[in-house]
Amino acid sequence: MIEDRAAVGPDGSAPEPEIEDIQRPPGPARYRWYVLAAVVIALLALPLFRPVISSYNYVLTLGALILMWVAMSSSWNILGGFAGYISLGHSVFMGVGGYVAGVLLYYYGVSPFLTAPLGGLAAVALGFLAGFITLRTRGPAFIISTIALLFMLMTDNFEYLGGAAGLPLPPLEVSQEWLRVPFYYAMLLIAMGAVWTAYRVAHSKFGMGLRAIAEDEVKAEVAGVPTRLYKISAFAMSAFWVGVAGAIYGYSIAFIRPTVFFTIAISAQMVLMAIIGGKGTVAGPVVGAVLIYAINELSLVVFGATELNIVIQGTMLVAVLLFFPLGVVGTLRKMNRLPAFLNWD
Amino acid sequence: MTNVIQVAILGLLLGGVYALMAAGLTLAFGVMRIVNLAHAAFIIASAYISFFAFERLNIDPLLSVVFVMPIMFLFGVAVYQVLFRRIEGSKKFGEMTVLLTFGIAIMVEGLLGFAFTGIYRKAAPGYANESFIVDGLFLPQGDILFIPKGQFYASLMSIVLLVGLWAFLRYSTTGYAIRATTQNRAAAQIVGVNVRRVSAISFGLSTALAGASGALMSYLFPFFPFRHWQWVAVLLALVVLGGMGSMKGAVIGALVLGVASSFVVDQIGPTWGPMTFYLALFLILLIRPQGLFGKEAPA
Amino acid sequence: MPILEITDVSAGYGAGPDILRGLSLEVEEATSYCIIGPNGAGKSTLFKVIAGLLNPRSGDVVFRGESLAHRRPDQVLASGVCFVPQDQALFPEMSVRENLIMGAYLVKDRAVIKERLARVYEMFPILSERAGQDAGKMSGGQQQMLAMGRALMIDPILLMLDEPTLGLAPQIAQSIFSQVEQLKSMGLTVVIVEQNAQRGLELADWGVVLDLGIVRFEGPSDGILEDPRVRELYLGKAAGSGGKK
Repeated sequence: MIEDRAAVGPDGSAPEPEIEDIQRPPGPARYRWYVLAAVVIALLALPLFRPVISSYNYVLTLGALILMWVAMSSSWNILGGFAGYISLGHSVFMGVGGYVAGVLLYYYGVSPFLTAPLGGLAAVALGFLAGFITLRTRGPAFIISTIALLFMLMTDNFEYLGGAAGLPLPPLEVSQEWLRVPFYYAMLLIAMGAVWTAYRVAHSKFGMGLRAIAEDEVKAEVAGVPTRLYKISAFAMSAFWVGVAGAIYGYSIAFIRPTVFFTIAISAQMVLMAIIGGKGTVAGPVVGAVLIYAINELSLVVFGATELNIVIQGTMLVAVLLFFPLGVVGTLRKMNRLPAFLNWD
Repeated sequence: MTNVIQVAILGLLLGGVYALMAAGLTLAFGVMRIVNLAHAAFIIASAYISFFAFERLNIDPLLSVVFVMPIMFLFGVAVYQVLFRRIEGSKKFGEMTVLLTFGIAIMVEGLLGFAFTGIYRKAAPGYANESFIVDGLFLPQGDILFIPKGQFYASLMSIVLLVGLWAFLRYSTTGYAIRATTQNRAAAQIVGVNVRRVSAISFGLSTALAGASGALMSYLFPFFPFRHWQWVAVLLALVVLGGMGSMKGAVIGALVLGVASSFVVDQIGPTWGPMTFYLALFLILLIRPQGLFGKEAPA
Repeated sequence: MPILEITDVSAGYGAGPDILRGLSLEVEEATSYCIIGPNGAGKSTLFKVIAGLLNPRSGDVVFRGESLAHRRPDQVLASGVCFVPQDQALFPEMSVRENLIMGAYLVKDRAVIKERLARVYEMFPILSERAGQDAGKMSGGQQQMLAMGRALMIDPILLMLDEPTLGLAPQIAQSIFSQVEQLKSMGLTVVIVEQNAQRGLELADWGVVLDLGIVRFEGPSDGILEDPRVRELYLGKAAGSGGKK
């Protein structure tokens, strides 16, 4: 008679089925909203503290730049983090926005503060078109095609757009002391808009579909997710705030030129910030933008404006990829040590 | 008519050099599924080696290939062991190699810039500015063809190296192991191939080819650290066009696009040369996303 | 003396759960085994652990006195254990002959390789006929024969075949089985995983039933399918007449 070994475990006892204990992350504490509200209010009020802040314009410019990067890396994250499609050519959208608003200002005198959304929409249009073609590939081939896209549009051949020298833009008609304030507030709005968009996407059915695509595209397709539509939409959506930011940025530096926008360095920064912060999370790109910018400024002070800054960035990217692939936010979350005010997922 | 032949010849010579550059990139992808965004940065680093060897030690760039290749081979093996071994089995390997090599490219660019500044460099051995002059033969009366010596020697070197690579892959034991690993990694393991060792060697070979390309580049084109991005974009477009992982596709793509871009430059203008590659890429993506000789399966 | 002892092996993929949960099995020399069991029981996983493609999380695999547990696949092969996976793992762009020669990758002596090649051609004449053809272009049955022929090039002591007749028409499957018979008569220890339980057990001396990562039942192959508990487990209450699931 053949014995049934399952009835009796190896040590003679009846075998027990194992149930894995699923660890539930701590629920979002109510206080996190208070912390966030406090941060936003502080940011809104910052320009009012003029008497207290020395080098006022510098602080506001720095603030505006950090906010811009928060917006851009959060937007990139919609395609790169949520959907898992790494775009290394995203700076084209900044350029499109910058040029649309810049050209409208230069030739027709319309303020970029009004036309920035148009810049964003132009970027979205490009996103749809580019996505339609490049998203026929997956993985590495896709990444390569985004690089090609960037280099294709990196042309300095068009006289109407000022060629290689670009177009100088008339500066804002405001006295020097308050010059940076409107840009600061504009970027703050843009950053808030971008982060809010990312948040809404993450908490939507669309976002869930994107995550499924990132996890395993074939399975997602089989499960009924309209992958092609979602991917192209993510591409287009991720372009909007980048375009808007580009429009404002061009105005803030008072000229538009191909090398300002269409460089791979800008794409690289977006990617770096999102990854180091934690791609795939909503708070990650925000944390990443602040962190990278802080490190940048620090190394500028320590090393001066040399190439070592780039080496540091590259080393950080490599180190994070090898040792902390989930980024700051992602790793903290895995260790269950994420402060609740950063848990926006 | 003569002009057409002239342009075509220039294109072929250019394509020959591109083929060598793309071959290294393709090898890394074919064997290890690594998309090496740092390949052009490696090429430029090698160009610096050859450049300074020429400036300081008077070593001809073509000759420098002899020592640049082994140096870069060892470098490649080291990079593989230190960086890629860690992520070998991971789920998102393809994506990770892109990001990782992206970071490496930035690091190399920064280090080169820090060490050598951003000045345009270009070695100038005698033949860099001379041309063979071909007249008579089948050409119309009075017309002559110029064949730039520098490009000609470079293409010759490229052919020698590519043929050598082909023979190595086809006939040597390691070559068999490399081809087996490319075709079916799991099967290679089962049959007893040490795929880790093969991967490290292949990556070393890939960077060695980058080294040779760099030696050629040192006198063919002006270079500076930041330029690697332009090169990598063109090379990557080439590799995708030919079909990722297909050596044949990369070489053919390089030659065809070399000629095509040569005509574009001749007819429209020099800045449109690289555009040819990007446009061709987007065209292929529309018609045949897996490239000319690629396989249907997603990367 | 068992040639292969698997002791309390647990294994799984990546960060996933244990597929094998404390599995123990002894394999005797020059005997043939057929492993059956429901999907997900761990049959292929077991083979992968033995072959060195997957590291066990605990337990040991001892082959002729040597532990194979954390060895690389090429080391396992060198010990004389050969694994033919479900998808045959051929080199599609290499010819039949090249595939066979790759089978002997670890063999240094060219004369030995030539000799074994001749032997394989004798055993599988169809391979000799198609020696120059690309492996990727052959039919399923031919590919399976190529896979088995390739396995023989290393002159293995233990041969593991994972679902050798999967997707093959009954006649071809039959010819594969007769080849396996031949291998048995050559003194090899053969372990096969077979979807077609009846056929597989007909062929083998000993039957092993896997379920939920352990060996649930084992016994002489001619008796094991008669056991009602085995029938219920493997064939299900609905399918009473055996055969494919």
